[in-house]
Amino acid sequence: MRKNQPLAANFDWILLFMYVAILFIGISTIYSVAYNPNHPNIFDFSQKYGKQILWIGISLFLGLCVFLIDSDIYRKFALPIYSFVIFLLIIVLLMPPINGARAWLSIGSMGIQPAEFAKIGTAIILAKYLSLVNLNQQNKKIILISNAIILFPMALIILQPDAGTFIVFTSFLFVLYREGVSYDPIILSILKILPFRSLHYKRTWLGTHFIPILFIVIFLSITTLLVSNENIVLNFNKKKEISGYWGMFFFLTVFCLIAYFFLRYLFPKRERKRALSISIIGFFLALSISSTVNYTFQKLPDHQKERIELVLGLREDPDGDDYNRNRAMAAVGSGGFFGRGYKNAIVSSVKTNHVPESETDFIFCPFAEEWGFIGSFFLVSLYILMILRIIFIAERQKAAFNRIYAYSVAMILFYHFTINIGMNIEFSPVIGIPLPFFSYGGSSIMSFSIMIFILLKLDSQRKDVLN
Amino acid sequence: MKFENRKYVLISILILIGVIYILKLFYMQVIDERWKLRAQQIAEKKREIIPPRAVVYDRNGNKVISNKTYYNLMMVENNIKSLDTNAFAKLIGRSVQEVKERFISIVKGEGKYTNKHTGKTTSNYQKIRAYPFLKELTSEEISKIAPHLWKYPGFYEEVSSMRHYPYSNGANILGYLSEVNQKEIDADHFYKPGSRIGRSGIEKYYEKVFRGRKGIKYIVTSALNNTVGSFENGKYDTIAEQADPIYLGLDADLQAYGEMILKNKKGCIVAIEPSTGEILALVSSPSYDPNLLIGNRKIVENYPALIKNKDKPLFPRPLASEYMPGSILKLIQSLIGMQEGVISKNSSFKCTKIIGCHKHPTARNIAEAIQVSCNPYYIAAVKRIIQQGKERNHFKDSEIGLNIWAKYMNSFGLGVRLDTDLIGIRPGVIPNSKYYDKWYGHNRWKFSTIRSISIGQGETQLTPLQLANIAVIIANQGWYYTPHIVKSIGDEGPLKKFLKKKNTMVDEIHFEPVIEGMRRCVNEPGGTARLAKIDGITVCGKTGTIENYKGKIKQPNHSAFIAFAPQKEPKIAVSVFVENAGASGGVWAAPIASLVIERYLLKKIISLDKEEKILTAKFPTPKKQ
Repeated sequence: MRKNQPLAANFDWILLFMYVAILFIGISTIYSVAYNPNHPNIFDFSQKYGKQILWIGISLFLGLCVFLIDSDIYRKFALPIYSFVIFLLIIVLLMPPINGARAWLSIGSMGIQPAEFAKIGTAIILAKYLSLVNLNQQNKKIILISNAIILFPMALIILQPDAGTFIVFTSFLFVLYREGVSYDPIILSILKILPFRSLHYKRTWLGTHFIPILFIVIFLSITTLLVSNENIVLNFNKKKEISGYWGMFFFLTVFCLIAYFFLRYLFPKRERKRALSISIIGFFLALSISSTVNYTFQKLPDHQKERIELVLGLREDPDGDDYNRNRAMAAVGSGGFFGRGYKNAIVSSVKTNHVPESETDFIFCPFAEEWGFIGSFFLVSLYILMILRIIFIAERQKAAFNRIYAYSVAMILFYHFTINIGMNIEFSPVIGIPLPFFSYGGSSIMSFSIMIFILLKLDSQRKDVLN
Repeated sequence: MKFENRKYVLISILILIGVIYILKLFYMQVIDERWKLRAQQIAEKKREIIPPRAVVYDRNGNKVISNKTYYNLMMVENNIKSLDTNAFAKLIGRSVQEVKERFISIVKGEGKYTNKHTGKTTSNYQKIRAYPFLKELTSEEISKIAPHLWKYPGFYEEVSSMRHYPYSNGANILGYLSEVNQKEIDADHFYKPGSRIGRSGIEKYYEKVFRGRKGIKYIVTSALNNTVGSFENGKYDTIAEQADPIYLGLDADLQAYGEMILKNKKGCIVAIEPSTGEILALVSSPSYDPNLLIGNRKIVENYPALIKNKDKPLFPRPLASEYMPGSILKLIQSLIGMQEGVISKNSSFKCTKIIGCHKHPTARNIAEAIQVSCNPYYIAAVKRIIQQGKERNHFKDSEIGLNIWAKYMNSFGLGVRLDTDLIGIRPGVIPNSKYYDKWYGHNRWKFSTIRSISIGQGETQLTPLQLANIAVIIANQGWYYTPHIVKSIGDEGPLKKFLKKKNTMVDEIHFEPVIEGMRRCVNEPGGTARLAKIDGITVCGKTGTIENYKGKIKQPNHSAFIAFAPQKEPKIAVSVFVENAGASGGVWAAPIASLVIERYLLKKIISLDKEEKILTAKFPTPKKQ
């Protein structure tokens, strides 16, 4: 049956198109930002854009190879693949450090970051493991093993150290959540120690939705810390200043209203009331979290405060050591509505070097500076739509393995997108991770491409597999 | 249990993040202006280019002020690598200690700015910025240093422009420049720290003309403050424009001659072209070489000595020194008397010796009175002006008469500040009734109380510029243009106010006898200024010999003289004032004036014996109190 199907019969052209679109925008941005008038040819391999073109070519070739390989091997060889990336992660720790981190494995003149490929290995083994166990009968063992699969490479990565990829690995927790892994067994066992013996819950709300709640709490806390310290200036007719904290309040209100209508639309009619209560409870919870964080932060001793501010890139010295975020924001903000125009980036151009790493981690800066809000809106939408498309693909899979793998890809992209763009706009601390398919760098472009092509391959064979 | 609905939680979070990010981007990029300003602050720098100041020519097209290239040795701390302080100090000709001190003074002193919000003054010193380590090096000095600078990364030379004076004359007219102070920077956006501004002379008066138009260049700079390129291909740039050249009425050769002839004497020479009011020479002696005050380095070196000098070389005597005019005022007294009708050109007063006078025949008319400069004649004549008999009470009559007299004087530009283009000009003193009321009380004085003003002694005081202007007015027979230095700004001519003819209150017909008297004074036997005679040129002049006191001790007389020549169609009007010469105006001032006239009209000196006598003159030393 499988042999009778042509290769591209069930191929998802939309996802491929989005992938190519982002690749194209990425390479043109790199060409613009690193443009060297002495080497105007985009295929000049002595320049960064030429090298990136080379990487893209290699990635597409690898993608084609992946596409020609039967997708069954991932399921069959999940453990060897995982073991291999773990092995690479151990090997890399024995290498001499480059820029203070043992993240690079040099093969000839090329450098490869095993951590980028570890994501794929982890996604595959997680898919394999979770597709085998029965998640309707949960116990501590399932929770521990599934978490251990994620934590093992994380531990090796933090030893490099590479905080960015370390954080990205927590995106697998969302996959566990989607698959139904509940933290109830652990939370219930903690509750049993506490003097509430009369309570005999089978499920707790916290345990069930532990991961998204954790994510929202962390996101809210960081945003509160980043935003509440300064004033928000509104420039409509008259200049008006409101404190960042009130801004936060305003945003929360707006979002809960949006969430209410969103939920109302999603929920069946008889559960409309639940939507309202979820929005209201959510609003007050969010408000209390952000107030608590703000209050706690203000009460901290100065040296600890300073430390947190340093980590978040919040220090008040715009030209001091921590200027990356400030300059990135200046670059993004100076784009205005229509942007400065292609190749006209000033603040974030590689030549001026005001924003370091403007072709890798801060690649969003030159893009937003050149294309303004129009471009930013387009790019953010494109990423969101791409991730939504992957979720859509995930949900149409019959095989649990395929679905879990697809969710892993979606969540990894989501993390990269959220953190990378977030650090340009004050929503995330400055963490060095690339923007998928966009940033300059061979390892990232190759690993993300392989990831997407495995997904496309699995998806194109979705009808072959029985559930 | 179904977990499928959990996808909605994930989708919600995803869309929520997307919406939040887009809203935040909209706020940052479209609403909030702060980031645009910050971006400008980071990468777009405004570099101001100040053009060289205007070049100045004299009336004959000789360059009087030009610009000369100088060099600053610049330093960028960030680029300095393992500096061999000993070798470097030796290269720039300083001691190691001095090099260290200079470095510290740059770090602490440069780029100081006050935060407007907090009022705190902080040093804005930045390691990546260039600061002048040594300023104002000549091309000779830099040529010794520059070839070796490659050994000292972080140091480089930079060109700057400063004034240069090909003639070392006319310092008090031309003025000098120095760096602006904070007040001037705050008051005028043209200036920034280190800019130079005119401090005296025409450099100060015409500051806004001389400085030209500054250019603004918008550039994009890198994080290391290097220029990467122009902003938007220089769309918003403006070009620096040097002002058009300035032409002076000054005759640089005559000015130089005047300064030479007055060497070792204290005094002034003012020469004016009567038909235009252009100042041909304005000598203040002693003076200084304007090249001594070019740039901070030289100012610091030379200014203290100049300001401490007892002879006040920085003081522009011809404008600011108020002397009693002595007998020169008799010319005006004659004119006022005739205009008022209290005397005629044939009036004769006996030399009664009621006041000191020398031996001479009685003056039969005004011309003779001027020729011999008879003091009693003028006491009598001016009495008629001051006490015209309009009131029976002598006191009241004197009050009315003196005020009429003062008005006449003011119409000659005496006792009022001439609205010229020179800095530091004084009005002189022409007393009126209020002035004496203050001294003696109302109705407590009459002519006999104040009679010494008749012969230009007493309370009357005039500047040498005003004395020269008297010669101008008489040469023109009743009018003058305000004396001025600048003949033309570019092709535009002088300032409009210098084209306005000023008439005195005396009619033209009354000038003829006065001019005749001045001619006789020089050219006829018995005249007081026989030494001013020049063969072939009719010089008309009038001497003044001024008795003066320091405290109560009589000092040697000042010697003064005014003249114009030739008598018909006068080309030059001169005043000469020699302090404490110890002899009459005819002995020293008159021959000096004649030499100046010779030099100007004949372009050479024919009376060499006269010149010799002046140059070797020895004056009595002023007596100390």
